[in-house]
Amino acid sequence: MEAHAMPYYGGRAPEKGLAVYTQKVGMWVFLCSEVMFFTGLIGSYIILRFGASETWPQPGEILNIPVTAINTFILICSSVTMVKAFAASEMGDKRGTRLYTLATAVIGAAFLGVQIYEYSELLGHGFGPWSGLYGSTFYTMTGFHGFHVFSGVVCMTWATVKAFRGGYDNGNYQGLEVLGLYWHFVDLVWIILFTIVYLI
Amino acid sequence: MDSTEALHETAGAGAAEAHASDHSHPRYLLVWLWLALLTAAEVAVVGFTALPKSWIVIALLVMAVWKALLVALYFMHLRFEPLRVAVVAASPLPLAVLLVMVVLQEYS
Amino acid sequence: MATIVAEPTGIPVVEEHHEMSFIRKYIFSSDHKVIGIQFLFLSLFFLLVGGLLAMLMRWQLAWPGRPMPFGGLFPETMAPDGIMLPEFYISLVTMHGTFMVFFAIMLLLVGVYANYLIPLQIGAPDMAFPRLNMLSFWTAVPAGLIALASFAVEGGAAGAGWTSYAPLSGMPEYSGVSMGQQMWIVSLVLLGLSSILGSTNYITTVINMRAPGMLWTRMPLTVWALFITAILGLLAMPVLSGGLIMLLFDQTIGTHFFLPETGGQPLLWQHLFWFFGHPEVYILILPAMGFVSEILSAGSRKPVFGYKAMVGAIVAIAFLGFIVWGHHMFQSGMNPVLGTSFMVSTMVIAVPSAIKTFNWMGTMWRGNLHFHTPMLFAIGFVMLFVIGGLSGIFMASAPFDIFIHDTYFIVAHIHYVLFGGALFAIFAAIYYWFPKMFGRMMNDRWGKIHFALTFIFFNLAFFPMHTQGLAGMMRRLYDTSGYTHTADLQGTHLLITISAFALFATGVIFAINFFGSMFRGEKAPPNPWNATSLEWQTPSPPKHGNWEQAPVVYHGPHEYSHPDVTDKDWLAQNERPDVVSPAGH
Repeated sequence: MEAHAMPYYGGRAPEKGLAVYTQKVGMWVFLCSEVMFFTGLIGSYIILRFGASETWPQPGEILNIPVTAINTFILICSSVTMVKAFAASEMGDKRGTRLYTLATAVIGAAFLGVQIYEYSELLGHGFGPWSGLYGSTFYTMTGFHGFHVFSGVVCMTWATVKAFRGGYDNGNYQGLEVLGLYWHFVDLVWIILFTIVYLI
Repeated sequence: MDSTEALHETAGAGAAEAHASDHSHPRYLLVWLWLALLTAAEVAVVGFTALPKSWIVIALLVMAVWKALLVALYFMHLRFEPLRVAVVAASPLPLAVLLVMVVLQEYS
Repeated sequence: MATIVAEPTGIPVVEEHHEMSFIRKYIFSSDHKVIGIQFLFLSLFFLLVGGLLAMLMRWQLAWPGRPMPFGGLFPETMAPDGIMLPEFYISLVTMHGTFMVFFAIMLLLVGVYANYLIPLQIGAPDMAFPRLNMLSFWTAVPAGLIALASFAVEGGAAGAGWTSYAPLSGMPEYSGVSMGQQMWIVSLVLLGLSSILGSTNYITTVINMRAPGMLWTRMPLTVWALFITAILGLLAMPVLSGGLIMLLFDQTIGTHFFLPETGGQPLLWQHLFWFFGHPEVYILILPAMGFVSEILSAGSRKPVFGYKAMVGAIVAIAFLGFIVWGHHMFQSGMNPVLGTSFMVSTMVIAVPSAIKTFNWMGTMWRGNLHFHTPMLFAIGFVMLFVIGGLSGIFMASAPFDIFIHDTYFIVAHIHYVLFGGALFAIFAAIYYWFPKMFGRMMNDRWGKIHFALTFIFFNLAFFPMHTQGLAGMMRRLYDTSGYTHTADLQGTHLLITISAFALFATGVIFAINFFGSMFRGEKAPPNPWNATSLEWQTPSPPKHGNWEQAPVVYHGPHEYSHPDVTDKDWLAQNERPDVVSPAGH
């Protein structure tokens, strides 16, 4: 019976590897690929912009900086609740785990809401993806970032349900940590996008 | 002889792993405050200063990298992970820079 | 049904439940061996499809304007009265390249063997993320089907070449293909996703799931090659995905990324494509090099000559592969300063490639050579790879490349490295690991006939393309009779076409041997080649979970003819030193 419980690999120490657990390695490796994906999009933006710098609109000319600044703040808040959720789970704070997980999902959805508002305003003024290179790059980059936030919100909704069922209690914090890595990465991409798309 | 040493080498990693998560958590709210202040500073530099464009760009890029590092080091715990995790995390960055810098040469 | 339970330490423990439904076992399986075999059937199917498309192209090139046999089967929009239209021809060119590169060779090398071999060779019970692995396969299937279905839509399949250069690919009006081009993009985005998920899995597995004692310096060269290949795929594929998405938006929602009339940059597409495309060619050759190293070592009964140099060469090729993409663009109007630096970095790749070639010869040198089928294909690989590699150095030189750019010289080169190189290694690998996969041996005599005919007809079909290219025969040209300088090449085209048909026909020998052996082949012992790596130390085929006892590794990967072992000429990686005791060295 003992042999059956741990048939092949049971209890053996992990290989040296990265000296962190496998799911975390997997997420970091996946994020490397995400870096290259956004490099393709952001790099194209930089290159196209250098080629058309005379005709490029000034910051604030088309895009609404105050609204996006608030949205940036919202995303930063979701990052801090995410990391708090992980910290609560790791330290065995069951109530904190549930509340912070829920807060992250809600604040992430709020970011998406503001982005949808921003898009509809811009489209209402006739600024769409077909509006020259500026429109092409703006909608592609922010759109794919928004898609990543959306995926994150879907995962966080699932994680919230799991948290309320006690899935992250008793030191079972890895799921939140790995999901958090993705979430913070998406936040980090937004920090870059906000600076180079809206402000520069 | 060689092989037994190798076994110890691989088995020892588990112990380090067990303690990796014992670090006390950094003060996340302080990081959050910094991120919020830097965001405000970025908007202020663009909206309320009359600096030359190149200075504004440099200031914005410095602040963006600063914010990104805060997120990576504290929220993503790279400061507290083994060095090799940070190496993996940073590995695509040279390629990203290379791609953009090389293609930009098309304009020179 | 098997569930994977993650322990706090992160090591999955496979809990075996003995009854699994057919669907969980063979269709939506998360077992890496089943997924590997699923990829094998999928990619062999696309190899067949890609081959058929090539046969149609060869018919048109040998007998321009003559009705094809069974030409009546094609609709009016492709081949009225069985005579191929130029639009259909360019779709064939495009889809032949796409199927062969993305769905046949890449899936055969990485999808099949990374899945099947990595866990077995590093002594793991399965991949790090088995369900992600299943998702990776089931993303590749719709990707292939979408590409295949694009022949049936209005306007036909994509017709801008496998590189889909903008602006030709960016505006439906330019290529005459709208829906097909978009399906091509969607298909490749899906395949890219599948490849990224797979790569994530392979890298994580190699980093964190190696058996005790399986140090980096004890990994078989196949695992090294597949690991480095996965890194290439992980970092290169997403750049292509980003570019493809921008191209899709150019076609559908009116963006202007690559369209020059509104300020876009067509060269940007070429840069993005080749930033992916050059690592991709190493994705298509590095695993092949890994298989060949291992098979040559087993077939020569000698350790791989210069194991560490081989690993170093793989890493060097992968690193250099990221900084040479511009050598595909010498003729694009790119900044000439870039051209020179890309030329130099490209020529540097010849150094690690030569290290590998000499080490293969060093491995065979004075070995106890066993000319079984896998060994023959591996030797064939080395010979043909050298030819393809040498013509590659020609092209790296910008002045020469300007002369042969977009000619059949390029076509000859790519087929020498991808057919003579990658596909020969794939055949070697199929013959070599077939007993492990299916528990039966493939027929060796028919294997040898398959090898001999493939080798002969391959060279007859592709070597003349070098001279055709030097004579000015343009790549993707529909009708050779249109120009005087190409009309003179008609005789060579006829020779190539007949050889290509014969080459395709030898595939039938392989297919019969493959499927026949699966059911009727001689039962395979666990270790038919007396090989040393871990997969041979478990039954053929291995059971779910791979190991009856978790393996512990004591030796390097290719310990053949060890001087201290007298009763046999090989030393398995997991043989305990106190049972078989080689003195320390």
